[in-house]
Amino acid sequence: MEIRSLSLRARAVVEGFMSGLHRSPRTGFSTEFTEYRQYSPGDDVRFLDWKVMARTDREFIKKFEDETNLRCTFLVDFSRSMEFGGDEAGVKKSDYARTFAASLAWFLTQQRDAIGLATFDRDVREFIPPRYRQDQLKTILGRLETQPAGNATDLCQSLEKFAALVGKRGMIVLVSDFLSPLDELERCLSLFTAAGHDVRAVQVLHPREVDFNYEAAAIFEDMESGQNLILDPGMAREAYRQKMTAHNDALDAMFSAQGIPGFRVTTAEPLERVLRRFLEERPARAVVRQRRSNGRAAA
Amino acid sequence: MSFLTPLYLLGALGLAIPIILHLLHDRPKNKQPFGSLMFLDKTSPPVDRKRRPTHLLLLLLRCLALLLLAFVFARPFVAVDNPADAARRDRQWVTVLLDRSASMQRGDLWARAKAKVQSALGRLGPGDQFSLIAFDDATASLAEVKSWVGSASEAEVNDRLERLAKPGFGGSNLGQALVSVGEAIQETQSEADEQPFAKREIIVVSDLQKGGSHLDEVQGYEWPAGVTVTLEQIAEDDQGNAGIEQVASGAPWITAGAAPSFRISNSPSGIGDELEFLAHTTAGETFSQKVHVPPGRSRVVELPGDWVGKPVERLAIRGDAAAFDNQFHFAPVRRQTVRIVYVGDDKPNDAEGSLFYLANAFQPSSSLDFQVEAVSGRSSGPLPEADLFVIGDAVDDSLAQALGQAIEGGVTALMVVRSPSQAANLGQWLGADGVVIRDVTSSDFALLDVKLPDDPLLAVFRDARYSDFTNLHFWNYRELQNLPDDGIDVLARFDSGAPAWLAARRGRLLLMASGWTPADSQLALSTKFIPLLYSILRPVLDEKTQSRQFVVGSKVDVSQFNNGQAGGGVTVLPPGDGSTVIPVDTIFTPAAPGLYTANGSGWSETFAVNLPPAESRTEPVRMDQFKKLGLPMSAPAAAPAVIEAAKKTETHRLEYWQWALAAVLLFVTLETVLAAKGSRSAEPVTT
Repeated sequence: MEIRSLSLRARAVVEGFMSGLHRSPRTGFSTEFTEYRQYSPGDDVRFLDWKVMARTDREFIKKFEDETNLRCTFLVDFSRSMEFGGDEAGVKKSDYARTFAASLAWFLTQQRDAIGLATFDRDVREFIPPRYRQDQLKTILGRLETQPAGNATDLCQSLEKFAALVGKRGMIVLVSDFLSPLDELERCLSLFTAAGHDVRAVQVLHPREVDFNYEAAAIFEDMESGQNLILDPGMAREAYRQKMTAHNDALDAMFSAQGIPGFRVTTAEPLERVLRRFLEERPARAVVRQRRSNGRAAA
Repeated sequence: MSFLTPLYLLGALGLAIPIILHLLHDRPKNKQPFGSLMFLDKTSPPVDRKRRPTHLLLLLLRCLALLLLAFVFARPFVAVDNPADAARRDRQWVTVLLDRSASMQRGDLWARAKAKVQSALGRLGPGDQFSLIAFDDATASLAEVKSWVGSASEAEVNDRLERLAKPGFGGSNLGQALVSVGEAIQETQSEADEQPFAKREIIVVSDLQKGGSHLDEVQGYEWPAGVTVTLEQIAEDDQGNAGIEQVASGAPWITAGAAPSFRISNSPSGIGDELEFLAHTTAGETFSQKVHVPPGRSRVVELPGDWVGKPVERLAIRGDAAAFDNQFHFAPVRRQTVRIVYVGDDKPNDAEGSLFYLANAFQPSSSLDFQVEAVSGRSSGPLPEADLFVIGDAVDDSLAQALGQAIEGGVTALMVVRSPSQAANLGQWLGADGVVIRDVTSSDFALLDVKLPDDPLLAVFRDARYSDFTNLHFWNYRELQNLPDDGIDVLARFDSGAPAWLAARRGRLLLMASGWTPADSQLALSTKFIPLLYSILRPVLDEKTQSRQFVVGSKVDVSQFNNGQAGGGVTVLPPGDGSTVIPVDTIFTPAAPGLYTANGSGWSETFAVNLPPAESRTEPVRMDQFKKLGLPMSAPAAAPAVIEAAKKTETHRLEYWQWALAAVLLFVTLETVLAAKGSRSAEPVTT
């Protein structure tokens, strides 16, 4: 993170990537057919497939893929725990997360996709609806550069609130450390998957959070609650790693159940590689979805 | 080494705290912010091996500081008698008043009293002043130590105490003893080079009996500042006592042949109400009878008729708790003869004359035998010896001269002026010329106006009940003229202003300007007559009627034995085997009860000495009464052992805790320096 400006950082990351084709998850009035649907009274008769009707004597409505650009909203964790890091082991989680979001936003803007931003800690703090405008990227980068003010994280409450704010279906990129209890998270995530949003989760962790690689005993202070704990890392390390692994496994299982692609990154990883992994994941998901749609249409 | 408050040594258990803390680890100083503690559990702080040597030194210092603190609070001392320390201590003057009255003979009171004295010795420290004073009716110093030097002084006092093997037989005049000790303390001035007394304590070791304590002497006494009185009562378990005393022994008005009476009293806490009254005779016989005396009451018992006439030498009671006062030594009263010579021509049986009334006024009593003799004024014979001359008529020259000499010699003479012919005699005896006596016959009657009611002669009438002379009428009286101005006191005058009763200071000549016969006045038939005559005779009676009953400690005037003519060379034989003979000049003070014999040249008389009757009242004085009397009572004393420990070690204790405290401060300072150094040199924790 040697480049201080977030826009330059994003640009540096994105450079060298080719623009891709995005499919809209919404069907609309475009030229690309997606599926048939049984006519029901009230449907616009303009979309009746007369040829099928003549052939089979049944009324089908032709549905087409919406050709509007991708609507991507970044949901970025601005809680205090994201401020951890900034040492020789890795950059701050917040810097990493914001740079990731900014890079992706830059990239999507290049693709003429609409981008939006929501920041949250205990609740949703900022919400910029996804748009494709000239200054949208600038606005988002500006927001990303503000310092977090929140304390604790309440992921589920923030997601519930965000579900009420977000309108049309689109892509939601959730960037957080996910270091909070997972009890309600699955239900909250299902609000989006059920609504047809294409949710992607990026879990940003600092390398020390993964391996707990400390040497000397110290007073460990929780950055969110301020709680202190005197401990010897050598003695606590093994138990920590086990609990962290269990937490991550539970998180992966939850993502898998909700059909959410999850990316776990550490702030020591080069961002370009992470971005490539992220972008490579999308077409595959889109193909799966396409196949499902086709299958249902054929039936 | 000992500790005043050893419980504080338990504070040394606090050593465990630094040891445990050092065994664990000290708290890490560096803070490490971390994203979330949700995966972290508290672990026990580990031992930092690198810092152990520094910690050991710190631990040692901390433990030493804690140990010394416990040591300081436990107040260590070493009990040593070091005379050099005396100067640094507050000096005290302890005076022990030891009761050695007869009542201390009860039970083990004497042993307990001595033990109390010895425990009081334990309160003394080097340099203190100590006085041991025994008291009964009087006080006597047993031991006086100006500067206490520990065991040597204690041995000296104990030696003196041991010599006092048992208490005496005297009374217990506690009030006087307290006042005399208070005065002695007040009068004693500290010498210039001496340390003044910080405390003056009077310790009274006594049964504090009610009888004879004379505490009224303490009332109003202004105690010197700084004096405290500690009462060590040793007979709080008083079981009551009964006592015996003779009632009005030797009183002149007790008629001849009357049996002697005795008062037997039982104290309120007496153990029973049935007492036995015993009489022992010189012949070895013993008589007894039961006497019912309820507790708190007394009863006068007359010697039974069949005992009278027996040679009783000792009476006793039996049946009470304490036997020390149950014996009463009895010396029978020896009748003394009082000779009265009437100078005049009156017939003894003539109710119109003076002699008749005079002879009838003096009736023999148990102790006195009156011999009234009449001598004519014209008698040429020698003047008989007499204790009282009553001159009722004119006297011839030879007799007048003899009488004048007798009067000059101190014999009491009463001259009843009945006729003008006595003027010459009067002038002769008064040494005045031209004395004239004039008959005065009142048409009505004359009354008496007492002028000198305080004169010893009229003192008997001083009480308002007897001072009314208005019923005493004088029909005829004589007016004495040309009396000398000096040497004569007018005791009473008639209402006309003429002198009625006069006393000449030359010798002891009394004049009555009117007779007592019915022709002259109502005096002989009035209630004033006999008291007046006895009052005139009192100096003689006082000599003649000396009792043969005395109490221990009283002054026995041996010169009054043998009818007042003891002469010289009197010896007193105390009771016992008769081996001891005490030569006595005039006053003999008996120290023990019993029958004593006074021997003179040609005479021998027995007198009895008994315990003071008040000693029988053994019930203790209520403690609140001492406070009411303004006695500077001390606070309840602490246990002697504690006092002793505190006293002996005061200076040492101060030194020790000061040094220990200084050591604590030193250790704490060192610990602070080392800890600061250790924290600076400790490597910062990096993450």
